Amino acid sequence: MSLLAQLDPLKAEALAALLAATDLPALEQTKGAFLGGDGKFTALMKQLGSLPKEERPAAGKAINAVKAELETALAARRSELELKAALPKEPTDWTLPGRRLAVGRLHPLTQVTDDIVRAFRKLGFVVADGPEIEDEYHCFDALNTPADHPARDSQDTFYVGDNSKPASQNGKLPLLRTHTSSVQIRVMKSQPPPIRIIVPGRVYRRDNADATHNPTFHQIEGLYVDKQVTVGDLKGTVEAVFKDVLGSDVKLRFRPHYFSYTEPSLEIDFTNALVKKLGKDWLEIAGCGMVHPQVFENVGYDPEVWTGWAFGFGIERIAMLRYGITDIRLFYENDVRFLRQF
Amino acid sequence: MKVTFNWLKQYVDFHWSPEELAERLTMLGLEVEGVQRLGGEFAGVVVAQVLAKDKVAGSDKLSVNRVHDGTGERTIICGAPNHQPGDKVALILPNFALPLKAGEKEPFVIKERKVFGVVSQGMMCSKKELGLGEDGDGIIILPADAKVGQPFAEHLGRAGSDVVYDLEVTPNRPDLNSVIGIAREIAALTGNPLRIPKCGVPNAQGGVLDSVAVRLTEPELCPRYTARVVTGVKVGPSPDWLRQTLEKVGIRSISNVVDVTNYVMLETGQPLHAFDYHLIAKSAAGKPTIVVRRAAAEEKFKTLDNQERTLTSDMLLIADEQKGIALAGIMGGANTEIRNDTRDVLIESAYFTPPNIRRTSKALGLRSESSYRFERGCDVGIADYASLRAAQLILQTAGGTLVPGVLDAYPQPAKAKEISLRFAKTDALLGVAIAPERQVKLLTSLGLGALPITDGQSATFSIPTFRVDLKREVDLIEEIARLYGVDKIPSTAPRGAVGAHPFDAVYDEIAAVRRLLSGLGLNEAQGQTLVSSAECGMRSAECVPLANPLSSDMDVLRPSLLPGLIHSLRHNLNRKNNDVALFEIGRVFTNVNGQTKEERRVAIALTGARAQTFWSGDDRDAKFDAMDLKGLVESLLEHFGLRGVQFAKRAEQHALFLESAVITLGGKVQLGELGQLLPALAKQYDLRDAVFLAELRLDELLARGNRNKSFKQLPQFPASRRDVAILVPEATTHDAVGQAVKQAKPANLESVELFDIFRGKNVPAGQKSLAYAFTYRAADKTLTDNDVNAAHAKAVDALKQKLGATVRE
Repeated sequence: MSLLAQLDPLKAEALAALLAATDLPALEQTKGAFLGGDGKFTALMKQLGSLPKEERPAAGKAINAVKAELETALAARRSELELKAALPKEPTDWTLPGRRLAVGRLHPLTQVTDDIVRAFRKLGFVVADGPEIEDEYHCFDALNTPADHPARDSQDTFYVGDNSKPASQNGKLPLLRTHTSSVQIRVMKSQPPPIRIIVPGRVYRRDNADATHNPTFHQIEGLYVDKQVTVGDLKGTVEAVFKDVLGSDVKLRFRPHYFSYTEPSLEIDFTNALVKKLGKDWLEIAGCGMVHPQVFENVGYDPEVWTGWAFGFGIERIAMLRYGITDIRLFYENDVRFLRQF
Repeated sequence: MKVTFNWLKQYVDFHWSPEELAERLTMLGLEVEGVQRLGGEFAGVVVAQVLAKDKVAGSDKLSVNRVHDGTGERTIICGAPNHQPGDKVALILPNFALPLKAGEKEPFVIKERKVFGVVSQGMMCSKKELGLGEDGDGIIILPADAKVGQPFAEHLGRAGSDVVYDLEVTPNRPDLNSVIGIAREIAALTGNPLRIPKCGVPNAQGGVLDSVAVRLTEPELCPRYTARVVTGVKVGPSPDWLRQTLEKVGIRSISNVVDVTNYVMLETGQPLHAFDYHLIAKSAAGKPTIVVRRAAAEEKFKTLDNQERTLTSDMLLIADEQKGIALAGIMGGANTEIRNDTRDVLIESAYFTPPNIRRTSKALGLRSESSYRFERGCDVGIADYASLRAAQLILQTAGGTLVPGVLDAYPQPAKAKEISLRFAKTDALLGVAIAPERQVKLLTSLGLGALPITDGQSATFSIPTFRVDLKREVDLIEEIARLYGVDKIPSTAPRGAVGAHPFDAVYDEIAAVRRLLSGLGLNEAQGQTLVSSAECGMRSAECVPLANPLSSDMDVLRPSLLPGLIHSLRHNLNRKNNDVALFEIGRVFTNVNGQTKEERRVAIALTGARAQTFWSGDDRDAKFDAMDLKGLVESLLEHFGLRGVQFAKRAEQHALFLESAVITLGGKVQLGELGQLLPALAKQYDLRDAVFLAELRLDELLARGNRNKSFKQLPQFPASRRDVAILVPEATTHDAVGQAVKQAKPANLESVELFDIFRGKNVPAGQKSLAYAFTYRAADKTLTDNDVNAAHAKAVDALKQKLGATVRE
């Protein structure tokens, strides 16, 4: 059979063999069987020299054309098989649950505190803090609390000290601060006005734990002292912060009240869709007022020059309202099913 | 303080609905905590007369009626068969509700509605519909003499409606613990006059001084004592108006004389006491003498409630020459109380200073309406008026004769206080301009006296004795704000200075630590500050105790965050949350050489499965181990950029840990500790899996951390890696390997990384194989094999020499 006559059957055989190879090793074997040094196609090419000289160019051209064709087919088949080899052995079920890394959550009280702090910081407030173990001076005296005020009572306030040793007279023991307002005094005593601070932190009251009480809880305090600060400023700032924290549909009202360290003193009620859902018109949320001149005198500020306002509220209460939490103790149990919800 | 709508109306006119009154009082600073409606049944039901009755076209049963309701005619469609023109009926007007029936949640409200093309403007009611009986077949036909237009409740002779308010009186306003005090606020708000009852009884001098004497031995504690005597009273039940008024506000009616003292106390705020005059011992001079003195130590005294009480010399007693007869300002004595056969009555109206009453009341655990008022501060100026008012009402309700005159021991009458107000100061503080005349008017409407204005800039006010809270200018400004209306003060946008405080940056750093740890998969916890001294592994000497703990399981301040976290683990495990990873940032309190120290810490607790549930993989069920904890601590420390952190294994036993290490900075500065909880303790806390705990001193980390960042050029030349596995004794630490290599200073060594630890085949017992990857890189050229080999040989040699390591081939 002439060389050219062998060419087409060999090509057909090679193409069939390439298709028959079902993986990459088999394909490489097939390639060797035809195009390798001992391959059938190589053998055919070697016969080229035995042809008459005038037939060689045409035969060479035909052989090269077939070789190119085979190599193209080989490359195509190789890509096909490479793709097949890359696929996982089992098909992927994209509905399977993925492999998850744990993501921890910040405590809801932290999140609420952060939101309130952020709202105040937009207005130029900075965060301050102070000790939780306080003395009567910072917690009560300097805040104009009357000497006989029930808040100082050991019924309501935790005093720190060894019970086996006799307590000093008049309860001069250190105490756990009952409000963050003690930090007002520390800050005003340590720096001159103007002042613009907020103070988040733990406070303590001698209440047995129940759904709405825990001996430990958190407050946030705001204090602004400057020249020509007015009740109007107080209202404006409080409104701005509560709209930021509780949503722009929140409405506030200010009611006269009594705190020893502010005058006038006000209580703040708020309402929004949530409060209405609870079946109430207003919910009490915070206390505030203009810093009492006596407090300014106590820290050495001249009340004729400086005025200011302060306000404070419980962080748990805000968090409970925001998330619909009904038992304050949940905050301190740290049940992960609770923590993961926020 | 409880007060009723109708009672207030006796003293001042106002035209508000009960709801409006509640709102006004609240906005004045007298928060209404409760509103209770009394009576007021059958709202919107009136007596009406049927004028005409016709058939409704298209209906067999219904009639269309013309009915007169007293104000005009109405058309009413009715299904009842039993009425005729001329009949008087009970008609409910549209938009009023029928009484609630058992099982109904919402009352049924009558609306105007169209029936067979006719609008029915109300409903004629059956007994059943009004809850007056079972008869629902026909409507109620009233007697012919029923008055058309009269409210149906009134027709039935039922009590008129009233509303009881429960008010929260702030402690600075004792004057509001009285109906007159509250009425005065309303008068100020409305501008209507306050009507204080006139006491039309003779008040001539004389008489009474022959009947009684008083000796004040403690004018500090009792600055004023008044007494009046009424003779020939007839003790008996109170008249309806008196009994009902008291009962509405929750005070039990006892007898006319006692009820009067309670009534006047509620009315004026002045607590009174009535003694049986004849039970007070007569002195040598032949007349009873009231002695206001301190009790003797251990003196026994039986109060009205028949409790015998043991007094101390700090307590003030009202006595006669022989015995105590009342615990001053708190409760009368059983020995002199008003009895059914009492004929002559001594009325005490005094002023006792608040702190002493408060202390006595507390020490005895005895509180009363009287002590409540005295301890908050009564009006020293009102004692005589209240006594006179009580005398008047006793005469009115119990008969008798008033002995003329009053005994009024008041050695040092209170001087009227005066306070000046600068009008501009009000405007400056409130942020709103209020005209001076308005300011003066608001204050005088509260009963303050305005002295003549001299300069137009300010005014001076005399302060009535009932306003014990008004002490300085700003107190007057508050009164102006209250009456002017805080809601009318315009809000001003935030403005002014930017604050400064060193903690501000610390707050952010702590927030960053929280984010880091939650990002590492830990949930944030918040533990109790107050814990039990008997808690796991705590040394009592270090704990800061509470002087007045609520209970023994909360008797110290936490000296560490770990006990709280262990508690939280238990809480979770008990609820089948078996896999828990928590962190907490908070303050701890310790006693260091007698000084209380407060510091911030950060702590971590791990137990249970390391990874979330997954459906494949060999280590999917792996539990947390010590190296999980170590990794977390390393990430945290890395965040602070600290150099020279060391972990030193604790050799000694520890109360909390099975195995643990102390974390230091260069072996000197204590940074914290980490380890595995003792299994015995874990078991005690119901923890089944191993528990890993770490606690670090956050303040120390914050103070020493280095968060300055500067860019280092990325490497320009390739690195070469050489691996080596060495056999070393078990006791040889990874740290020791690092130190040995470091000291050898191999050239261009970039890093040494441990990638395998192996024990077992081909490793002799008591030894371990450590495999390290050494990376070499020069900053200025590509290292040759020779360069690297020479350096690496030096490193390996150091391991052999320093550690006696055998290199595994």
